[in-house]
Amino acid sequence: MKNIPKYLYTFLFCAGILGSCAEKQDFDQLDNLDVIPTVEASVLYVETPENLINQVNGSNFYSQIINFDAFSEEFISENIVDGVMSYEVENTTSKPLYITFEFLDEAGNSLDSENFTVSAAPTAILQRDTAYGPAGRSLDIIRNTSAIRVSAANLGDNTSVSTLPNPAIFLRSSAKFRIRLE
Amino acid sequence: MKNSHILFSILLWGYLSCYAQNKEVLYDFVEIPQALLINPGMNASYNWYAGVPFVSGIYAQGATSGLTVNDIFAADGLDINQKVRDRALYSLNERDEVNGTFQVDILNGGFRGQEDPANFFSFGMYVEGYALNYWPKDLAILAYEGNADRLGQRFDLNDLNTRGQLINVFHFGINRQMKNNLTLGARIKFYSGILDFNSTNNSGYFVTNEGENNLLRNTLVSDMRLRTSGLNELLDADDSGRSLTGIWTNRGFFGGDPGLGFDIGGTYYFNEQLVITGSLLDIGLLYHTSDVTNYTLKGSASVEGVEFILPDALSDPNADYWQNLVDEIEELLPFEENEKNYVTFRPVKFYSSIRYNFGKQGEPNKVCNCDYRAYTSFRNLYYLNSVGAQLYAINRPRGPQLAFTAFYQRRFGKALALKATYTVDKFTASNVGLGMSIQAGPLNLYVMADNLLSYRNIADSNIASFQLGLNIISWEGNR
Repeated sequence: MKNIPKYLYTFLFCAGILGSCAEKQDFDQLDNLDVIPTVEASVLYVETPENLINQVNGSNFYSQIINFDAFSEEFISENIVDGVMSYEVENTTSKPLYITFEFLDEAGNSLDSENFTVSAAPTAILQRDTAYGPAGRSLDIIRNTSAIRVSAANLGDNTSVSTLPNPAIFLRSSAKFRIRLE
Repeated sequence: MKNSHILFSILLWGYLSCYAQNKEVLYDFVEIPQALLINPGMNASYNWYAGVPFVSGIYAQGATSGLTVNDIFAADGLDINQKVRDRALYSLNERDEVNGTFQVDILNGGFRGQEDPANFFSFGMYVEGYALNYWPKDLAILAYEGNADRLGQRFDLNDLNTRGQLINVFHFGINRQMKNNLTLGARIKFYSGILDFNSTNNSGYFVTNEGENNLLRNTLVSDMRLRTSGLNELLDADDSGRSLTGIWTNRGFFGGDPGLGFDIGGTYYFNEQLVITGSLLDIGLLYHTSDVTNYTLKGSASVEGVEFILPDALSDPNADYWQNLVDEIEELLPFEENEKNYVTFRPVKFYSSIRYNFGKQGEPNKVCNCDYRAYTSFRNLYYLNSVGAQLYAINRPRGPQLAFTAFYQRRFGKALALKATYTVDKFTASNVGLGMSIQAGPLNLYVMADNLLSYRNIADSNIASFQLGLNIISWEGNR
């Protein structure tokens, strides 16, 4: 009988340690986990001074294809959910201009384009957002883009010069994409 | 496994990695020889002991601060995405951590000196592993939410702070009763590193601002590194036809990274009943020289997309501006690999305690200086009860981590001793632990666990550990 408390303590000790339990856990919830960050970065910046525009005869003073593989990188093309391309065109020259921004595939085919007609300075900065994905244009445009072609046409004369400092046409662009990390 | 699962696991692991390593129940539990490993100056009163190989000391611990498994995975009907946002992403901070550690005694034994019985020698070999990961708050937000609409917000790369190590330890210790009321001890440790990885002391940031020319400007300033040792051999095991066991055995028996360390400790009796103890463990380092691969990302770069500025751009109209941009970034911010040897310091641990013994079991032995056992060796065993407090500290990458413990120990004759602890640390303020040592003839069995209150729902626990072991002990006078 003398040893009963000892065994009782031992029993209680073991019961305390071994008597653990856990509420029901559902690890299948991981299947419902969405990790979809929204990332944004600049895409292309083009700057053309007015004196250069004046030097080119004819209306189409400029056209350039620029290799751009960022969108067709596997990480982007396979995981993009949707996105928005943002454009900003600022014209401080004395002439109206017509700008075309085209997405080209590997073969040089045009997949999509944005056209901007801007008045001569002084004029407001032109801003535009274009959606891609379920609520916008096809995501395949983004996925297959391998180059960007920027073309510009002078809708005015070749002699006038703006009184604004360093007159030029500025094209700015950025992309905001939602990427599914899966 | 889906990539998202891997990513989430990494983030969670990044948070849930761990190494608290506090063995508050075992500390100064003089009936258990393994307590010598955390205080080589413990008042040991064994003639000799031999641990049963592989089961003389098994210890495992896991700890998380700020988040539990239950917080995310409870079957509560809530959307997991909302739970991750509310309970992890925007609740945890960069000081929250996850850590885990284990230790398994392969061999452990000890014997009293024949020529000078005041000396007690102990030796052995154990394998130990730990992993620690602080919650990479900014990087988690960046990965989960992205950088959009966060102009000017810096994502701090210093938030990435992780380390882990797997080592084999050969040790030899001496414990000596210097005076009737003072016992000191020291232990030398030879480490053989099996696996090591660490990414600490990172600095830098990623930020998105309004651009100077274009709409946005992304800037990355980075001084980051990841150092590994022994990782490639493991990853290439399949290709090389070597078994993991073979690799680990080879590296664990001085075929890996060498290291050296020391433990010191002591016990001092103010009087028959009042005792203080203290120890410093793992004062040492490893020199990683084998299978080393380090990765660095150092430099700074700002990007505003592809910039085509006329008339300069006309000088080379066929240039690949995209590739030029990529090359420029890689030059400014090179991701490099090297095989430079490196040193890691062991996480130094500190224990101390004050103990008051009371409740005499019988008449004390006569105090004299004729034998090392006449005074202190029986003191712990003589009193039925002990009560006291312990302080524990461990050196961590983001500063020392402390734990305070109050304990009560009760002995039931020679065969049974129980110890109850209450610990407060960064993981929990309600950590109740229990330990038991049973002596059946020469056979000693001990079991201990902590944070028992959380066992009502172990998935909701911030910290949990257990230890058990089996020894054969010869006590003086067959106590």
